[in-house]
Amino acid sequence: MTDINHAESLQQRQDKRFIQKETRTAAKYLRRLKELPGAPEGMEPFYRTLERIYVEMEPVEKEAGQKTIGTYCVMTPPELIYAAGAVPVKLCSGNYTAFSIGDSIAPRDACPLVKAVAGFQQTGLMPIYKDCSMMVIPVTCDCKKKIAGMLSDHCGVMTIHIPASREDEDLEEYIRQLYDLMARLEQTTGNPISYESLAQGFRKVGYAQYELSEFIRLKKQMPYLIRGSHAMAILNSSAYMPADVWGKALHRVNLSLKQNLSEKKTVTSKKLPRILLTGSPIVFPNIKIPLLIEEMGGIVAGDETCMGERGLWDPAVITDDSFDGMIRALANRSLRPCPCPTFADNSQRIFRLKQLIKENQIQGVIYHVLRGCLVYDHEYKRIENELGQLGIPVIRLESDYNEEDIEQLRIRIEAFIELIKLKQAPEKPAAVRRSF
Amino acid sequence: MKHQHLSSHQTDSFDKEYCESLNRLYNDNIRLSEIRWFFNRAYDWAYDTEAPSPEVVLLGTAIPEELVIASGAVPYWIIGGSLGSCAWSDDLVPRDTDPVSRSITGYINRPDGMDLSDSLFVVPLMNDSMRKMAYDLKSSGRKVCLIDIPPDRKDPYAVEKYTGQLKAMCEAVSKQTKTRVTRKSVAAAMKTVSHARNTMRRFMEVSRGHQDIITDAARLFVINAYYMISSPEEWCYHTECLINEIEYRSGTSKQFTQKDPAVMLLGSPVLFPNEKIPFLVSDSGLMISEAVDYVSMKSFVTYSSRALWGSRDRLIRKIAARWLAYDSAPAFVRNDALYDYVSWFVRNRKTEGVIYHVLKGQIEYDFELERFETMLAQYGIPVFRLETDYQYQDVEQLRIRMEAFSEMLTQRRYREVKKAS
Repeated sequence: MTDINHAESLQQRQDKRFIQKETRTAAKYLRRLKELPGAPEGMEPFYRTLERIYVEMEPVEKEAGQKTIGTYCVMTPPELIYAAGAVPVKLCSGNYTAFSIGDSIAPRDACPLVKAVAGFQQTGLMPIYKDCSMMVIPVTCDCKKKIAGMLSDHCGVMTIHIPASREDEDLEEYIRQLYDLMARLEQTTGNPISYESLAQGFRKVGYAQYELSEFIRLKKQMPYLIRGSHAMAILNSSAYMPADVWGKALHRVNLSLKQNLSEKKTVTSKKLPRILLTGSPIVFPNIKIPLLIEEMGGIVAGDETCMGERGLWDPAVITDDSFDGMIRALANRSLRPCPCPTFADNSQRIFRLKQLIKENQIQGVIYHVLRGCLVYDHEYKRIENELGQLGIPVIRLESDYNEEDIEQLRIRIEAFIELIKLKQAPEKPAAVRRSF
Repeated sequence: MKHQHLSSHQTDSFDKEYCESLNRLYNDNIRLSEIRWFFNRAYDWAYDTEAPSPEVVLLGTAIPEELVIASGAVPYWIIGGSLGSCAWSDDLVPRDTDPVSRSITGYINRPDGMDLSDSLFVVPLMNDSMRKMAYDLKSSGRKVCLIDIPPDRKDPYAVEKYTGQLKAMCEAVSKQTKTRVTRKSVAAAMKTVSHARNTMRRFMEVSRGHQDIITDAARLFVINAYYMISSPEEWCYHTECLINEIEYRSGTSKQFTQKDPAVMLLGSPVLFPNEKIPFLVSDSGLMISEAVDYVSMKSFVTYSSRALWGSRDRLIRKIAARWLAYDSAPAFVRNDALYDYVSWFVRNRKTEGVIYHVLKGQIEYDFELERFETMLAQYGIPVFRLETDYQYQDVEQLRIRMEAFSEMLTQRRYREVKKAS
């Protein structure tokens, strides 16, 4: 009996320690985000969401009786989940404490994102994971493939086979899987997906996407109206907020940005090196890289990561307004424009990067590779060569979910920013101060 | 014998490794005359510069070659296995790429290698490296045919999907060879390949436990040699001759010493010329009872004579269904084929320990380790995880660990004898 009590108290102490460490890291990064100057008005709902999920460890906000469906990739259409009356929540995690727990469960060479997921699943302390009635895992890489097997022991899991190419027959196959997903969602939630409910799902996500496109248009302004780290906080919080609520909150930010634009209130008057961030996803609280870039005097002007702008950017285009037409629109949106390296031929990622470089007047690219994320690492050389021809410098930053490499990353980022500064035309000297 | 001329080729690391492995296999099995044919073929595969360029190149072993043969092509496999060829791909792949994919990429880009510019590459997408390798091949202007293996066997449409993939492959290969795929050609190829796989199984069964006649490394090499020979019939004929010789020798000579502890070699496949692990196993006083990996498990994908009936499309569907059920490549969410076979094997054959071989970067095996450990623990079988790559620098560390494992298994034997008495 004493042994059992002792084991229980040991477990409780371990859980308490986990919660303390987890919340402390999240709170620290949230504080750094808040301290970063130049945030527009209206950021509070996004900070509050991240705080609620990672610091207060609360579940996502939803209506009573509504179910939560966990997803692991942008290739799971949220419209279908909304249509089934459930709330989607992206479970990809950037948590350092969960990563350290997952490190002893998942293989050493697995990517940190998957280790963090395994860690959260093991501890069972994170409400967003506990709450999930079902998890949808698109098989985009080896780690996701194997984690699907591991998670299926704990929760209902549905895998989606992402085809290696985007041919018509691949699209048909994906459409069939979406119909399967629909059936599973109906079974899990008990709500049938009707034409009207699916249209409602489209409206919710469409509204959020409209606001996002407006936000990105404002973000492109020169001089800058918002910092990339703040933009990333906004985009990361979309994983834990219903699309319509998130869209409304973003609308307020857009209004504030528009006002700032008319009043010429910019983040800084200095000409900061404009950096494009691409590669492995950047998930809160692992936002050390965008924070370091902006603390070192650069600005994250473009973001091609799947937890960033890419996640919600492409709208579903309905050309046939039947039910099947809407499902086809979802499949088209998920596969055709997606520059995810899961596709065997991913040359459109290069076009997308070139487009982003042109639109955002990018001066340098930081290629983020999470340790063990082989698919992104594989594409680095090709992108370095392509961008080299355009005269855009690229550096590959490999990192993990811990803070041990921060100083090394800082030095590399600082040197990269210096390099860009040396290339750019010198700023006009400020007028000589004649009196105090 | 061509084997005597090997030293002239020992110029770089590929040649060195290739020839050293061949030399050791030859010296360890010098009494077996029938095995020399396999050595000669392996030598030809690597050094015959006059061989014609292959029409179809198969990357890895996870491709149903029966359909390639039925489409009129002579399969030319590149399955990896060499440290030397890894060096040729150093600048082409990321640091963490697994050695098998590295080695395959190296072979394709071998500086003085065969001209593969006009060949069709068939790439099974069983892992991330293969996926990206396909991208590289396509970008360099080569003809590529992808086989997208459905990752979830529980998917009710998995067989349909896979059938579609295999049909597309047949189409691509027959376009390359300009040969029609007919019901007759598919059935004939299924029959040929079934015979070869049955021979593989019989060879492994007959040669098991006869280390005094054929070493474990040589057993694995003979299976690997199948992928270096253009004609399965020829391989079968010579393997049958070898089986006869082993049976004859085992009948005329008896081993009087106690047999070494029998271990199962599970996980990443051992591919020639990197025979580091089987050499170490035998040096440490262990015997490989079975090598269970996706290369050896192919021997279970056979077809009965009844399965050869039906239309062409029906036969392709049967091939797809059979492959999905028995394929143990790391392409699946759960590698149930491998798991089920291991659990059957340990129940029915003597296995005193398991060496779980993980090649660095092949994390799929690492993900499954816990599941295997739990199952094997129920049978009281110790599992020893051995992680390595194709480098030879860790040989001495591995040797120490392997010897300790061997000693532990020997001590267990004594304990059991003591307990019984």
